[in-house]
Amino acid sequence: MRWITALLFLPALVAQNVQTATLANGMKVIIQEDHNIPNVAMYFFYKIGSRNERPGITGISHFFEHMMFNGAKKYGPKQFDNEMEKAGGNNNASTGEDLTTYTDWFPSSALELMFDMESDRIRDLALDPKMVASERGVVYSERRTSVDNNNRGILEEQLQAAAFIAHPYHWPVVGWPSDIEAWTQQDLKDYFAIGYAPNNCTMVVVGDVTVARVMELAKKYIEPIPRHEPPPPVRTKEPEQLGERRIVVRKAAQLPLQMIAYHVPEAKNPDSIVLDLVSTVLSTGQSSRLYKRMVDEEPLALSVNGRAGDALDPTLMIFTIQPRNGVDPARTEKVLYEELARLQTTEISARELQKAKNQLLTQHYNRLKTIAGRASLLGHYDVIFGDYNKMFTIDKDFEAVTAADIQRVAKKYFTEKNRTVATLIPEGGARK
Amino acid sequence: MKTVLVFFAAASLQFGQAKLPQYTKETLPNGAVIAMMPRSGVPLVYFRVLIKGGVESDPADKAGLANVTASLLRRGTAKRSAEQFAEELDYLGGTFGSSGQGGRGGGGEGQLESATVISSEFLSKDFDQGLDLLADAVLHPAFTESEVRKELARRVDGAKAMKDNAQGSIGAYFRASFFGKDHPYGHPPDEMSYSLIGRNDIAAYHSKFYCGKNLLIVVTGDFDPAAAKAKLAQVFGAAPAGSAYTWSTVPAPARKGQMLLIDKSDATQTYFQIAQPGIDNKNPDRTTLEIINTLFGGRFTSMLNDELRVNSGLTYGANSQLEQERLPGAIVISTYTKNDTTAQAMDMALEVLKRLNEKGITAAQLASAKAYVKGLYPTRRLETMDQLAALIGEIELYGLGRDEVDGYFGRIDAITLEQANATIKKYYQTGNLTFVVLGAADKIREQVKKYDPHATEVSIKTAGWGDR
Repeated sequence: MRWITALLFLPALVAQNVQTATLANGMKVIIQEDHNIPNVAMYFFYKIGSRNERPGITGISHFFEHMMFNGAKKYGPKQFDNEMEKAGGNNNASTGEDLTTYTDWFPSSALELMFDMESDRIRDLALDPKMVASERGVVYSERRTSVDNNNRGILEEQLQAAAFIAHPYHWPVVGWPSDIEAWTQQDLKDYFAIGYAPNNCTMVVVGDVTVARVMELAKKYIEPIPRHEPPPPVRTKEPEQLGERRIVVRKAAQLPLQMIAYHVPEAKNPDSIVLDLVSTVLSTGQSSRLYKRMVDEEPLALSVNGRAGDALDPTLMIFTIQPRNGVDPARTEKVLYEELARLQTTEISARELQKAKNQLLTQHYNRLKTIAGRASLLGHYDVIFGDYNKMFTIDKDFEAVTAADIQRVAKKYFTEKNRTVATLIPEGGARK
Repeated sequence: MKTVLVFFAAASLQFGQAKLPQYTKETLPNGAVIAMMPRSGVPLVYFRVLIKGGVESDPADKAGLANVTASLLRRGTAKRSAEQFAEELDYLGGTFGSSGQGGRGGGGEGQLESATVISSEFLSKDFDQGLDLLADAVLHPAFTESEVRKELARRVDGAKAMKDNAQGSIGAYFRASFFGKDHPYGHPPDEMSYSLIGRNDIAAYHSKFYCGKNLLIVVTGDFDPAAAKAKLAQVFGAAPAGSAYTWSTVPAPARKGQMLLIDKSDATQTYFQIAQPGIDNKNPDRTTLEIINTLFGGRFTSMLNDELRVNSGLTYGANSQLEQERLPGAIVISTYTKNDTTAQAMDMALEVLKRLNEKGITAAQLASAKAYVKGLYPTRRLETMDQLAALIGEIELYGLGRDEVDGYFGRIDAITLEQANATIKKYYQTGNLTFVVLGAADKIREQVKKYDPHATEVSIKTAGWGDR
């Protein structure tokens, strides 16, 4: 059995040149010098997202992210982008359920400008009512694109809302339409006060910088911003699901679409890495079980994948299946359950488990190739897992997972009581 | 702290200049070209195989043939069944295809208009096994009848599934409309073209195109160049020489005023593109146009995004794309807005175009765009081994020369305001534009009639891309 001993041979992942510090106002700074290209990735991870919202202001974290580009005290409307692009830089930002992340990429010559502009908007965001009105239209257009006119987007929104009845993961990050239309100036001011505390943020700088220079600028621009209360803890816990939930979305479409979700734990739970391996065994690569069964051997699906993101609170593993033309979604659903049952009843072979570990590890490697990829991972691990060092020991964490762990976790989470089934049925079609 | 995972030290690049690191190039006796750029650091090796031909080599009635052939390479070979191939590849954590993340499902090949691109990455220690997998697929595919049938059937359904995403499908309608049937870029594959492809077409395409004289193999990353050269020469040198594909010659698409309206009755948002003829990838105006297009619609503060998103809130984003392929392409404005502001947004986009044409740009704008393009170039093109391999592939495929990179910043610096404004007049015109509009026809037909009273209208439910 030479296969089984053929473990992936990799150099140990070592946290190279990573340095951290905490400013007097509580903001954490993580720095990695890398002089390969004369560029810098500077990311800010604010621990605020849709999980910190409440009915009436759903989507406000995301809206806020947009407003962070619409003018502060020193740099007025449009100036953040204008100054940045003129200096050879580019930016984006994203909002999720747990975090709002601001991502800046620029030549190292623009480092001080970026500190100046980032500190300006963290400290003194303007929230000009005219800009609020226009940005509302932008966000609504984003919603129309990512949800209302996107079958995957709309089905996932409905699925989440059904799977979570109490926890804030119930509502969509982009917000319900009525809230997008209704949030007020005061709502935004209140939200800024709770979310954008320096002590609620981790800053990551990777690239053509020196630690000394970054710290000097951080002390000059960021440290004087006073700390304040972070968002209150999210109290609500999702109660245990008591039975299968099924929902249907009827919409004009060429093909049906199916999403099947199971509640799974938060990222810090030891089962979450086992679930990463489970989803890899099931749906990563053409050798994965679901691809082979549903896409290749039987003409049931165009694509199938299952994944659970790393989340602060218990989340979902969602299987998304695109049935083939003329295939009854009841059939793809049944086949998924057969494959999940197989994981529960038969222990996975050592070779198949090792394959999944190798796949996940090389994927992880691939994300370390760029300064942007490393800035993203350093922040993600620091904020979601509580320690960026986790990203350098992930090989050992994978290695520790056994076939028995896979079976135990499959039995624990893939149960009928724990699942929500969402199906998009083409309008006018006669499919069940 | 001990450093084990070292990232490759550059020294190839300082601020203010761009320089392509050295690579070697060798032509094998059968005509295959091997280009290598060894760089120590991340313990990965990246292969990029280009097969000259691509979309433009598709027979007019069998659009998709080059792409289907590429998808089937790994679905069974002389040595391995499709299942064995997938298992071995995944066990190594390797990739084969264009996704870079293991080719989850689907095809697994990249496509330029003028070449098929196979990209594959492995850990350096797996160089031999990786190369064996790659070459087995590229040179010895089996094309079994059952795999061919499965692939084609999936593609027919895939063409339907694509139409459930308005944003994802408008591009195919655009290509059919702008380039037209007689142009190789103008027939995106559809249900009918797939139904005309058979196993014999695929096998014949493979034996004609996957031969020494059409092969370019680029290898970058952490590997021993001497050992690699011998192995690559042995493996790819064994391919028959065949005959080199000669680029097709077709007239550039004419400037024509027309509109295609695609009806998606449930749409709450209208997606539209407005286009006019642009350039090919060797055009002497190309660097100037890149700078101009950056200002017009190539970045967040661009004229289009500023007007349609930032000032008016009509859309989440508006941009202009400058296509650069072997044959002249288009300059395309793209955006979307809610149904009842369709004409307002289209008028605004046309107004921004008119303003650019009439007023040109200022010295400050020119300076800003130059800094922007230069500042981001390293992260876009020179940072990773796959980016460098892609650059080498383009340079060798199109015969561009390394000055394409090394002289790039110099060419940008040399652009004058007068030259930029003259180039605007030449390319960014306001008449005879091609409009492609996708939305709920009943709600927008009256609004958009003014752009072309004789617009062609097609339902998204109709097979094809408005050209059937």
